[in-house]
Amino acid sequence: MSASKSRWADEDPETEAIIAQQKREKEEKKRAKAEKQRQLDEAKRAQDTAQTDNSAQAPNGDSGPPKKRRRLSNDPDATADDEVPGSEKQAQKKPSTLLRFPVREWGTCRHVDNYERLNHIEEGSYGWVSRAKDINTGEIVALKKLKIENSPDGFPVTGLREIQTLLEARHQNVVYLREVVMGNKMDDVFLVMDFLEHDLKALLDEMREPFLPSEIKTLLLQVVGGLDFLHSQWIMHRDLKTSNLLMNNRGEVKIADFGMARYYGDPPPKMTQLVVTLWYRAPELLLGADKYGTEIDMWSIGCIFGELLTKEPLLQGKNEVDQVSKIFELTGPPNSQIWPGFRSLPNAKSLKIPSNSSSLSGSLPLLPRSRFPYLTNAGLGLISELLALNPASRPTTKQCLAHSYFREDPRPKPKEMFPTFPSKAGMEKRRRHHTPEAPKRGQEAPELDFAGVFGGAPGGDSGEAGAGFTLRLG
Amino acid sequence: MAATGLKQLSNALATPDQLSNSSSSIDGVPSDLETSIRVAGAQLTQTAGVLLGLSQDIIAQAIVIFTRFWLGADGGSLRIYSAKDVSAASLYLTAKLSFQPTSPRSVLNVYTLLLSQDASPLWFVNPRGAPAQPPAPEKYLLTEGGYQSARLTLLRIESVILRTLGFDTHVALPHTIAWTYLQTLGVARPAVARGVVKHLNAALLSPQLLYVTHQPNALAVAAIYLAAREEGVKLVDGNWWEVFDVDREELGFLVVGMRSLEGYLRRERQLWQTQAIPMVLEDVDSEIERRRMMDEGE
Repeated sequence: MSASKSRWADEDPETEAIIAQQKREKEEKKRAKAEKQRQLDEAKRAQDTAQTDNSAQAPNGDSGPPKKRRRLSNDPDATADDEVPGSEKQAQKKPSTLLRFPVREWGTCRHVDNYERLNHIEEGSYGWVSRAKDINTGEIVALKKLKIENSPDGFPVTGLREIQTLLEARHQNVVYLREVVMGNKMDDVFLVMDFLEHDLKALLDEMREPFLPSEIKTLLLQVVGGLDFLHSQWIMHRDLKTSNLLMNNRGEVKIADFGMARYYGDPPPKMTQLVVTLWYRAPELLLGADKYGTEIDMWSIGCIFGELLTKEPLLQGKNEVDQVSKIFELTGPPNSQIWPGFRSLPNAKSLKIPSNSSSLSGSLPLLPRSRFPYLTNAGLGLISELLALNPASRPTTKQCLAHSYFREDPRPKPKEMFPTFPSKAGMEKRRRHHTPEAPKRGQEAPELDFAGVFGGAPGGDSGEAGAGFTLRLG
Repeated sequence: MAATGLKQLSNALATPDQLSNSSSSIDGVPSDLETSIRVAGAQLTQTAGVLLGLSQDIIAQAIVIFTRFWLGADGGSLRIYSAKDVSAASLYLTAKLSFQPTSPRSVLNVYTLLLSQDASPLWFVNPRGAPAQPPAPEKYLLTEGGYQSARLTLLRIESVILRTLGFDTHVALPHTIAWTYLQTLGVARPAVARGVVKHLNAALLSPQLLYVTHQPNALAVAAIYLAAREEGVKLVDGNWWEVFDVDREELGFLVVGMRSLEGYLRRERQLWQTQAIPMVLEDVDSEIERRRMMDEGE
């Protein structure tokens, strides 16, 4: 900064170069002097800290405040002189304490060679993930390579959003992005994240019995807690599913894979409907709503809840049409009482709803108890709210966290009491998932014909499933 | 938890090292020239953003990214990258992440106009001043071939910026913070609010790099202080800035910095009366060569 300030003094373009030359020499001297000062200061500070007790040490205890102070001043000389003693004096003199902002910096990307790749974990729609070791610290990390080949618009916005949202979302239930590193080519970009031993999908596949009710509460509370933080930061995840929920051997769950995540606003910006893996996709998306909100994440939470209860994905549609019929089979068909306005959604026009369905009660219907035989009434109430067809009826993360289900017995199990499981990701074993992938960016939103959802002929293989919902009436 | 909550309101700041060493100065660019180019680049970004119809928050973020790019020994050098390319890529990148994305073609069309020696309305590109008559379209035509190569450059520089900044594209702006502070202070006069926005936007061009050396809350407080003063509006008694976590020293420095901008820009305009500020690599090289020759001649 000193350089730019001194520049104002230069009026004459002719002698500028000379002055600049002199300035540079002077500055070099200054810098040398400042360096000497700093060394002196450091010695002094060492002495000071040795002499004074904890209270005096507090203001410069961490490296934050002095660093910031240095920045406030113009003159490197003056700064070096009174930097540390000044801040100490001030802290003692002034009764008002000012909030210090977290001091962050930026720097160029490091090279991926700082990590040694150990084994492959999985391949998702947005990149390859492998387990790796930090060469300097020996720590085990997850290394995710972003897919960015042949992108016509430069660096893909999905990758940028993933990095941006992950950097923003520092929360104990969100996977921690340590840094972004580069490979040799311009296109090689890797995200370095904390390594977690499991993902919930693989874990559920391996387990013989589903989680205990107390364990399910602990898991769900953590996921919703993480999501609550994301929503409070105006981040929508848009691809919540069990394979994107990572878990370590200490019972901690973290939300991962932000390849679909993005910031939203109020009013919501235009967003693509092609989000969320099919089995976890909310009905308003399937019906083609071009305006949607955080409620789509809550629907996914409902699907995850159901999957934790039964160990099987709740709604395994073969395609969009089948997915819609599976949903209605579970929830009952929509009507304008429980979901006002659904008729005006683009894909709802082809929907032929049986006439007798409108006779259902207007209040939020419970899901069939037969699907979740071991769930308490409060639990059934929660999952029915989460899987409400009408997005406006679904609870927010806050409402969900406050739900009586989490306060009734059995209480959530303490994380420390969680059983540990053998890690598939850590054991050089490649995982294979049967969950379909999230939709690819840039795809066209399909024109869907839902005429067959309730057992009609067109629309594909939904005949058997379509009949299912009538069973519920009986 | 407090620290995470504050992240949205705070920025990564330049380190003392990044401020005292720039890649350009290592490559022999005189620091006054570097500052001139950086300030002109910020103005170029602002103008391009307006022509692209982007909202000011996107433009301001782009200018901050543009400014960060040149700092530090690991930053970009004016002997390697053209200021105009970095300006265009910053704007394109920021818009891409916003709710108002724009296309490479729109960006490049606008930059072709703004950098045209004949048609540009910018004083530092076209020292003769904006043409009185609307310029002939041929003067700022981007040919298809030109577009293709410019597009590749745009996307390459975008990657370079991301690499240089470690993919940290987060920029918190003081504008909305200032709004809240004004309401807290009970100032309802529109002229003050206008003055605040004026100072905050002008500070984006500051040769003292105010946006990368100070947190947004401090910028907001300084702008309020200045605007209230200029409008003769009396604010509450006492050290009200401390309520917003700004100490007197920082406030004083920022106020001086913001006020000095007008004089700096006026001097720059005089200094570069007859000659364009080099926004392209080759022009930077020839300017340095010109200065070297003049030095030797004396």
